[in-house]
Amino acid sequence: MGLLGLGLAGLQPSLLLGGLAIGLGVLTTLKLLEARSLEEHRLVGLLQLVGCGVVAALRPDLGPSLLLATATLVALSGLLALELGEGLAWPVLLRRSAQVLAAALPVTLVLFLLLPRLGPITPMPGDRGASAATGLSDRLDPGSIAALATRHDPAARVAFSGGQPPPPGERYWRVLVHDRFDGRAWSSGTPLPRHPDDPRQPPRSSASPTENGQLWLVEPSGLAAVPWNGWGRPLSRELLPDPGGELLHRGPPGQRRAYALGEGDGTARWQRQPPLPGDLLLPEGANPRLEALGARWAQLGSDGARLQAAGTWFRSQPFRYSLEPGLLPSRAPLDTFLFERRLGFCGHYASAFTALMRSAGVPARVVSGYRGGSWVRPLGGVPYLDLRQSDAHAWSQVWLQGRGWVEVDPTAWVAEAQTGQGTRGERGALVWLQQQWWGLDIAWTRLWLGFDREGQESLVRRLLGAHLNWLGALLVAAVATSLALGLGLLGWLARGQGSDPWRRERDSLLRALARHGLTPEPGDTLAQVAARGGQRWPALAQELEHVVALYQRHWFAPRPADARRPSLERRQLGELRRSRRQLQRQLGRLAGRLKPGCLSRLIGVRRVD
Amino acid sequence: MTTAPPHSALNALVAAISQVLLGKEHQVRLALACLLARGHLLIEDLPGVGKTTLAEALARSFGLAFKRVSFTSDLLPADLTGVNVFDPASGHFHFQSGPLFSQVLLADEINRASPRTQSALLEAMAAGRVSVDGTSHPLPQPFLVIATQNGLDQGGTSPLPESQLDRFLMRLSLGFPERQAERALLQGLARRPEAIAQQLTPEDLLQLQARTACQHVSEALLDYLLDLLQRSRDGQRRGAPLSPRAGLGLLAAARAWSLLEGRDHVLPDDVQAVLAPVCEHRLDGGQPGGGGLSHDLRTGVDGLR
Repeated sequence: MGLLGLGLAGLQPSLLLGGLAIGLGVLTTLKLLEARSLEEHRLVGLLQLVGCGVVAALRPDLGPSLLLATATLVALSGLLALELGEGLAWPVLLRRSAQVLAAALPVTLVLFLLLPRLGPITPMPGDRGASAATGLSDRLDPGSIAALATRHDPAARVAFSGGQPPPPGERYWRVLVHDRFDGRAWSSGTPLPRHPDDPRQPPRSSASPTENGQLWLVEPSGLAAVPWNGWGRPLSRELLPDPGGELLHRGPPGQRRAYALGEGDGTARWQRQPPLPGDLLLPEGANPRLEALGARWAQLGSDGARLQAAGTWFRSQPFRYSLEPGLLPSRAPLDTFLFERRLGFCGHYASAFTALMRSAGVPARVVSGYRGGSWVRPLGGVPYLDLRQSDAHAWSQVWLQGRGWVEVDPTAWVAEAQTGQGTRGERGALVWLQQQWWGLDIAWTRLWLGFDREGQESLVRRLLGAHLNWLGALLVAAVATSLALGLGLLGWLARGQGSDPWRRERDSLLRALARHGLTPEPGDTLAQVAARGGQRWPALAQELEHVVALYQRHWFAPRPADARRPSLERRQLGELRRSRRQLQRQLGRLAGRLKPGCLSRLIGVRRVD
Repeated sequence: MTTAPPHSALNALVAAISQVLLGKEHQVRLALACLLARGHLLIEDLPGVGKTTLAEALARSFGLAFKRVSFTSDLLPADLTGVNVFDPASGHFHFQSGPLFSQVLLADEINRASPRTQSALLEAMAAGRVSVDGTSHPLPQPFLVIATQNGLDQGGTSPLPESQLDRFLMRLSLGFPERQAERALLQGLARRPEAIAQQLTPEDLLQLQARTACQHVSEALLDYLLDLLQRSRDGQRRGAPLSPRAGLGLLAAARAWSLLEGRDHVLPDDVQAVLAPVCEHRLDGGQPGGGGLSHDLRTGVDGLR
């Protein structure tokens, strides 16, 4: 049974989620194969628990947390089975393990509330964009796309503290900034040098992320940058706003990331970051007609007038929105799009508009991110905005003298309809289930993310005032108290359970009979229950009588008072247990149900002892 | 006594008596248990259902001396115990023993006698001896009184008070025979009590009684018994509380029953088997219509031990 418990813990998929845990899981499972002694099995069990702890620290999301709780329970049961030697029934072991976990809750709570947090361990990724695994790529080349397939994979979910999403017109979240143009495609340039006074940590206040804030859950994207509307104040420690206008996340890009944003104060650093010469760069002669049009607008007096002229021009031309615009020629691709085909999607418009602005002398760059999304209200949990890969979008930023960087969506000029709120007519039980799950997921994330370092520090400040050096003593005292509480709880639980193994056997038997519809009348003796069972299942009459006789012999028959007694009683208890289990199996077979005990036979695991 | 295990000998005895008293095996076993527990038996039933037959059959199968006394209102204590009679030949009084000096005494219609006579009988039952004119005369051993009373016919009777009821270990009711048994009876298939061969000797009975007192009683069983007694005294239920004597009687009867079942230890089942005959008359205090009191008691205590 111990082997089975540890084996199951080793197979838990959640253990395979982190690199460290993969090693631990594989090693402990392999170790299990060659473990012979009790000490070795115990070591494996403890390592499994350590593995669970490590992964839990790495993955606090709802799904992995649930899986890990299960894995911990199973590993603990295995350990318990080892320590108790002579096996207990599985449900008893699991119940006992759950009680042990419950007893550890107070300590967990105290540590969660008071123990100082470590900063993120993962180093900041050096490059701004890695390989593109989603609808977003660091290289934007609309001309090379003949038809854009609509992918509905989830991209991100965001919950708003007000419980209401922003109006559709404000639902723009950029991820990447593309400032280098080669005449055809846009790509990200080198990161801007940071100011010496640029704080590594975002400024923080006592406001918790749950007020006026956003909570983001971003699916693995392979990008260091995460969606940001440019104004929300980063609250999570892992976040770092880049002067170029991207929001970088220190977490591993290959994993799901969660972060919180507070309400912005309208003075984002990126907006006031002056344009570089590269923001005006345009390959000479790549798109001659475009350059000619831009040069005409360059005559206008101000940046604002040039922007306005561009808007007027785009609206006046017969542009149409299409996800299947066809390939653009490699020579003067934007000329072809602007003056011949006039058919494209957001990438085309953003690309062409930005190039036009540059040729008109206005610093401009392309940004890509997400727009729209659908608002979901799950039954439980938190309402959230569901962003899919099909919500990926590209638009532009232009530098206006005196106003800084301003976001412009040229696609909106030509295709009003497409910029509205994206509503998808998705129905079906699976979609519904997924929505409910995500709602719970966000609620859970808000729970642990909401009590991040700031909440903790404010709690500590409230508790201790200026005497911060008392924190250690307080921590020790709190842990000791909660440890005592937990142990007390354990004792209390054990009291209700009845510690006598004979009584437990009797209770197991009675429960098994009750499951099959035989409950004792008040005042009945076991023999009478057995007799009624015998009437109901004549095939089991003898076994029932035997089990009851074994039990009653212990309590009522004269017993030897000498040294043989303990071993004799153990043997008799074992006999009772075997007979009782056999009886239960027969009962189960009679009722045609799969009963406990089948699992271990299925896996072919032997008992340790 | 034969070398066979006691319960097989006893079961053979029960079988033999059951051939006389048709269809009443359970009552026969209870009466036998009462005998083994050194208790006395009160049978409350109508005339003609086999009370005398039972008493006589029990006595004969053990080879015990059997006497029957019909109690009437003018029966005096001396009529039971006997008197000192002057013997002119020797010039001394000598004790002329009464019907009490038997081994199985059937006291018919005990509630028709005066309370004084009743109490003389009960004293003999409790003490196992009779005092006449200051001389104590021990009663023969074993000694079993089977008293009967007619529960329906209460005219001109002195019902036994609760304190005296308490001295009877069991109260039984034989009841009418089942149809099959009565058919056999009518066909003359029942044997006469006289036809019963002696199965065991009075010495065997004394041995069995001693053996009964040695049946193992575990702590767990005492707990069950104490719970029952406690339950009868908690004041939240109908009926009189059970006395410590009732507890002793219950234990003794349960021991006897366990011996009849062929075990060397007592189970809660044994206690339950004798609970109603031992406790019902103590709980209802002899008042009619209190039926089911011992059932309430049984269902009020967890028997799953």
